[in-house]
Amino acid sequence: MHSDLIKPFAAEYAEYLKDESRSVGACQYVAFPRSHDEALEVLRTAYDQDLPVTIQGGRTGLAAGAVPSGGLIVNTSRMDQVLGMSVRDGLYHLRLQPGVILSRLRKDIESRRLDTAGWDAGSLQALEAFKKDKAQFFTPDPTETSALLGGMTACNASGARSYKYGPVRGHIHALRVILPTGHPLTLERGRVRAKGRRMELVCDDGFALCLDLPTFRMPDTKNASGYYIHDDMDAVDLFIGSDGTLGLITELEIILRPMPGAVWGVTCFFASEDQAVDFVTAARPALGADAAAFEYFDPHALDILRSQRANNPAFAALPVIDPAYGCAVYTELHCTDEQAAFDRLMAVGDLMEAAGGCQDHTWVARTDTDRDKLQFFRHAVPESVNMLIDQRRRIDPVITKLGSDMSVPDACLRQVTQMYRQDLAEAGLEYATWGHIGNNHLHVNILPRSADDYSRGKALFARWAEAVTRMGGAVSAEHGVGKLKAPFLTIMYGQKHIDEMRALKLAVDPKGLYGIGNLFSLKGGAAQ
Amino acid sequence: MSAYIQNDLTKCVGCGLCQGSCASGAIALRDGKAVIDPDRCVLCRVCLDTCPVGALTLESDAQAERTADSRGIWVFAEMDNDGQPLPVGLELTAKAFALARKRESCPVTVLLFGPSATRQAQRFIHAGADRVIVSDAPVFREGLELPFADAVCACIRQDRPEAVLFGATPFGRSLAPRVAARLGCGLTADCTVLDIDPETGLLLQTRPAFGGNLMATITCPARRPQMATVRPGIFQTPESPLRETGEIEQLREIPAPGPVELLEKTLVEAGESIRDARVIVSAGRGIGAQKNMALVKKLAELLGASYGVSRPLVDMGWADYSHQIGQTGCSVAPDLLLCFGISGAIQHLAGIGGAKTIIAVNTDPDAPIFGAATYKIVGDAAAVLKALIEHLQQQ
Amino acid sequence: MKIAVCIKQVPSTNEVRLDPVTNTIVRDGRQSVINPFDTYALEQAVQIKEQLGGQVLVVSMGIPATERLLRDACSRGADRGALLSDRAFAGADTLATSYALSLWCRREQPDLILCGKMAVDGDTAQIGPELAEHLGIPHITDVCAVLSVDEKEITVRKVTADGFAVVRTPLPALLTVVKDINLPRMATIPGVRAGQAAVIELLTADDLQADRSRTGLTGSPTQVVRTFTPQRTAQAVELTGEPAEIAHQILDIVREVL
Repeated sequence: MHSDLIKPFAAEYAEYLKDESRSVGACQYVAFPRSHDEALEVLRTAYDQDLPVTIQGGRTGLAAGAVPSGGLIVNTSRMDQVLGMSVRDGLYHLRLQPGVILSRLRKDIESRRLDTAGWDAGSLQALEAFKKDKAQFFTPDPTETSALLGGMTACNASGARSYKYGPVRGHIHALRVILPTGHPLTLERGRVRAKGRRMELVCDDGFALCLDLPTFRMPDTKNASGYYIHDDMDAVDLFIGSDGTLGLITELEIILRPMPGAVWGVTCFFASEDQAVDFVTAARPALGADAAAFEYFDPHALDILRSQRANNPAFAALPVIDPAYGCAVYTELHCTDEQAAFDRLMAVGDLMEAAGGCQDHTWVARTDTDRDKLQFFRHAVPESVNMLIDQRRRIDPVITKLGSDMSVPDACLRQVTQMYRQDLAEAGLEYATWGHIGNNHLHVNILPRSADDYSRGKALFARWAEAVTRMGGAVSAEHGVGKLKAPFLTIMYGQKHIDEMRALKLAVDPKGLYGIGNLFSLKGGAAQ
Repeated sequence: MSAYIQNDLTKCVGCGLCQGSCASGAIALRDGKAVIDPDRCVLCRVCLDTCPVGALTLESDAQAERTADSRGIWVFAEMDNDGQPLPVGLELTAKAFALARKRESCPVTVLLFGPSATRQAQRFIHAGADRVIVSDAPVFREGLELPFADAVCACIRQDRPEAVLFGATPFGRSLAPRVAARLGCGLTADCTVLDIDPETGLLLQTRPAFGGNLMATITCPARRPQMATVRPGIFQTPESPLRETGEIEQLREIPAPGPVELLEKTLVEAGESIRDARVIVSAGRGIGAQKNMALVKKLAELLGASYGVSRPLVDMGWADYSHQIGQTGCSVAPDLLLCFGISGAIQHLAGIGGAKTIIAVNTDPDAPIFGAATYKIVGDAAAVLKALIEHLQQQ
Repeated sequence: MKIAVCIKQVPSTNEVRLDPVTNTIVRDGRQSVINPFDTYALEQAVQIKEQLGGQVLVVSMGIPATERLLRDACSRGADRGALLSDRAFAGADTLATSYALSLWCRREQPDLILCGKMAVDGDTAQIGPELAEHLGIPHITDVCAVLSVDEKEITVRKVTADGFAVVRTPLPALLTVVKDINLPRMATIPGVRAGQAAVIELLTADDLQADRSRTGLTGSPTQVVRTFTPQRTAQAVELTGEPAEIAHQILDIVREVL
């Protein structure tokens, strides 16, 4: 290789072949650039040598977007500096390298202690104001806090609180990207917009690109499926959620929001899923913007927690779940002050009772300790399911995680939950469902007991992709499409629109080197 | 009669450092000066030491009482179930001996109550005691606080020592406050440093507070005796006798048994205690996953070491409390401590102060653990663990 | 059965660091919470109340804002609260604090007093035994299980230095509890409502007829003369290389040290 930054693959890098989806890929080279300039050297070399490039963040993704398909891995974890701060429209912005870890970012923001090495005077001035101001936070809250900011941007991550605040997209002001052709591109929200479905991009070095944007209409739901496209769109938005297929993000500017005066959580237990759906349907309009999250746990998820609590000392600190509790909805309230939060909490109680629940069957978290407890409870569900799957994999390696990530419009919540329940019962599959019920976005996780279960589960997912598309939903609402959900994207948008996306990709990446296998196959279809 | 923090506005430069130090949020900056809200201030006095210009002072109309001419330093020595004195009693006796030598005519007295106390008394004379007050009375057999409190208070009231030290064991920390409250004395908990003013006999008692994140030096100027519980394992037991002869005196009045009854006692085997381990492999959150605990245990096994963990891992259930190192766990003093993925919260650092050589691996180059380490490795803890295990297995 | 629980307000984190430039103490984390150990005492009290009937009272000595925490306790099963708040109480050490609490206990005459093992900010573990002594009642520290309790006596298991002991005491008595004793409950929505409505009695030194020479800073024999953060100086030697190379260097050091 012509760059010392590119190292031949060796056994010690084995962990970089996989991500949380538990799929394993292959590659010939790895690189860990530390700066924009180092990344530029690496990517230009890759372009010259026709090396396929897989960009990696924290490898916490569930759709195998960071799993390499040959060529070079460009891992961004060493680009982990916070570069500066500014104030815009009364909001604090932080300029970051893509390898900053979410958990560290949160800690830095919370403690208001940032590594200011190399900061300019303006940044230091903004920091002084930030230190004196009321508490701020970065709203996106994916479950896995070891995610890197670059990866979160590349897949437009969200989390429980995106019910109120939306996914990462709305919290990114600017990006610096290196295109697959090696041209650096600086984008700031509001500066470059498409005209209709035509977008012109001019790189920092003057290199210009004219792009025809696909013609599909995105569903009106929470969505992380394929490119984000609409008329007159901002160029920043094209790269957010592009799954590493359009270039490498080397810098990003994120927007912080003021922390609300009171953050309260309440878990309400219901006897049946229908009651939970009734509650959410009524609570959404009633609580309005004060509701930051609605998270659901179905009866199977609660059963898994009950058994983990009893059998695994690591989960002994989970609160006791009364055997009478059927399922649960966690509601997070973000209010201006404690009085407002109190009023909203009482409203939750009334809504709960109206849906057939009992107000005594609630857990209210108003302190850090209790919020941590409920957080632990929420995180324990996916963690337990992963542990179960890993156990079963040992019996049959074909078995792996089968988790859905589909969303539908509000009006279809009841319909989609009934469909899941009925289909799973008919198929006789073991499963647990949880997730973002406020966005009609539930993760159905099938727990295959055999290879046969696994293939039947897969078939069910494909059927649901069609059904959800018919409801006007999205096949991937937050995890991104990556490699695992690429077939669903075709179901959702149809071959014509996939071809348009592919054409867009090849206009930016003419050699077709970036994120091979993500979103769609580069082979076949009219655009090849 | 009240007390408050006074800010001398002519000195205050409005730097805001006191504001940052106030846990109660009682200090605000107004017009470039620190203003203290008396409704929030709890008089913890942390701000006094943060003020760079000495503008903050404690205003109090508390009167200093004249201390009666109390003399002598006393040690309450606890015994275990087998009638053996706990090492901390000997440690404190030696420390009391050292402190007493700074003062004129300051004898060291040890209180030793328990089954075979008389038989063990000579060990305390060797450790520096001028006198040992002993009692083998059965009432002391069960280790219940009230009879001990009665006996200790009776002795103190009679002889009026200037200081009394207790080991900061669970029993010592239960008994000492009972005695202090009965005598109306000050008591400093869990001291780790002790010194004495040769002139006044004022005991300078230094102890960790806020989970070990802060050290505080405490004195008790006006009342006697000055009392402290002192953490075991801080001071040395003398290797050769400091003194050959001394008085052994029987406790005169045997107290009545109290209303509390001991019904049953279960001893739990100490197991492989990390407190005494020579080599410790310890792990923190930075090892990433629970499965990596297996690597930690494997490495400990290969090195013939014990393993320890930081508090988060115990909280997460990755390891048992008996392996927890730090302020709220066990203080350790190994010759070699290998830290994997430990960031080094100060409460953890407080527990590893006795380690001679520390090798620390952490991905964060600014991790506080590196401030305590002899050798630092900025890198992935799990990767280094695996490499070490591989090397050792090949050998 | 009338059960009193003593509660202390503490900062939510213990993080204290030394500002490298100014060499002064900076504290992070401002939210005040109920001392975690006290939450176990409260839960135990509520469980005993659920078993025997009666009432649970929570008491704290502190600034007026502590009322919020007493309401929080009432949302988790306590029936009413008392806040001893007066400038005359400020600056109290454990002796003066336990004295003030004892005045309230004498008014209320609880059958059982429960305290957390210690407070996470002060770590003294002295309030419980000192309070018991002021009241002239027995105390048991480090209780990890209540084995049986009735109106007359209570039998508990306690953690000792070398294991466990089962101990019985007549009531009234005071217990301090360790964290393994139970799993504190979370408030329910009706609980939060009850907490908001609960009676929290505000009491001054005069209300309690306190001897002012025994309260606050005046009544505190101990004085903090200096606070500082523990310091370390030595510079660590950095080992670099791939994991395998590092492992090699570490093992060389291990051999050298042992």
